Amino acid sequence: MRKINVVESVLQANDALARENRERMTRADLLAVNLMSAPGSGKTTLLEKTLPALAPEHACAVLVGDLQTTRDAERLGNLAAAVTQINTGQGCHLDAAQVAEGLRSLELADVDFLFIENVGNLVCPAAFDLGEHQRVVLLSTPEGDDKVAKYPTLFQLADAILLTKVDLLEVLEYNIGRVRDDLSRINTRAPLIELSSHSGQGLTEWLTWLRDQYAARGNAPGDRSAGTASSRARE
Amino acid sequence: MHEMSIAASMLDVVLQAAEQAGATRVEAVEVEVGALKLVVPEVLQVAWEAVRADTLADGAPLKIEEIPAEAECRQCGRHFEPDIAYSFLCPGCNRADVRIVCGNDIVLKSVICEVNGAPSTSAGTEP
Repeated sequence: MRKINVVESVLQANDALARENRERMTRADLLAVNLMSAPGSGKTTLLEKTLPALAPEHACAVLVGDLQTTRDAERLGNLAAAVTQINTGQGCHLDAAQVAEGLRSLELADVDFLFIENVGNLVCPAAFDLGEHQRVVLLSTPEGDDKVAKYPTLFQLADAILLTKVDLLEVLEYNIGRVRDDLSRINTRAPLIELSSHSGQGLTEWLTWLRDQYAARGNAPGDRSAGTASSRARE
Repeated sequence: MHEMSIAASMLDVVLQAAEQAGATRVEAVEVEVGALKLVVPEVLQVAWEAVRADTLADGAPLKIEEIPAEAECRQCGRHFEPDIAYSFLCPGCNRADVRIVCGNDIVLKSVICEVNGAPSTSAGTEP
C-alpha cells in the first residue's frame, strides 16, 4: 500500500480555464459581466433594456446559459452584435469550459461589453469562476427581502447588486431596509441599485455603473481567483 | 447540486495520480473541501460512490476534511475567519469588503493505492 500526497486542486481545470478566459477577454479590451440571480429575477429583460442603450457607442455580445431552450437567445438576438446560447442540459451553473467554448464563437476584438447570463440559481454559480471581470447579482422584489441573508455566499462576491422589479413594491410587503441591513454585514463594497426594467427607474444608474466599469477596465481587482491552491502557489 | 461535477473532476485527478504511481487499485482518497464551495459532504459522498464505479477507485472510501474560509479585508488588510453563513464583517474596521484567501477550493490531499510489488518510498510518498 502506498500513500501518495497529491495536494492538487480538483477545480484546477475550471480555474485554469477561467484565468485563460479572463486573459483573452482582457487582451481583447472588453468588459465581461457575469449576471447571476434566481430564475425569473429579470436578467434577460434587463439585457433587453441595456443592450439598445449601450448600442450607439458600444458593441455588445451575450452568452446565455440555460438548461434548455434557446428562448433567451431568441429574445436578445437582434439587440446585440452576437448572442450565443449555451444549453447545459442538467448543469445548474455555467463553467469556464462552456464560456471558453462560447468565446470561440465570437470576434472578441470587435466586442466592448460581453454579458454572460448565468443559469438562474442563487447557489452554484457562486462556486464557479468563469473568467469574468465583474459579477452582478440580481434580486427581484417578489422573491422576498430575506434572500441576501439566506444566500450570503453569492451576495458576498457581487461587485454590484441590482434590486429589480421595484415597480411592484406598492403591492408587496417588502422591507428594503432589511436588504440594506443584511448587506451591511455581507457586502459593503457593492452598490445596491434599485431598478425596474418595466418603468425605467434606476436604469440610468445601472448604465452609469456599467460605463464606469468599462472606463476602468484593466484596472479591476486582480484577486478574482484568490483562495485556490493554484493561485496561492503563484503568490 | 454541483457535487456531481465536483466528484467527476475529483475522480480525474485521483486516476491521474494513481496512473502516475503505477497503481493497480485505489484504496482510499482524502480531500479538503473549502467552506465557500457550498458542498454538502453527504451529497459529495453519494456523488463519489456514483462516479468511482467501474474505475480503479471503485469501492475506495472518501475522507472529507472541511476547510473554513479565511478572508482578507480589502480596507484594512486584516485576516480573519468569517462566519460565512452570517457575516463577512471585518472585526478591525467593520466593513464587509473582503478578498477570500482560503476556503474557496477543493484539494485532493492524498490517494492511498495498491501498487505492484512491495511498497517503496519515493519523493512525495509515504511507505
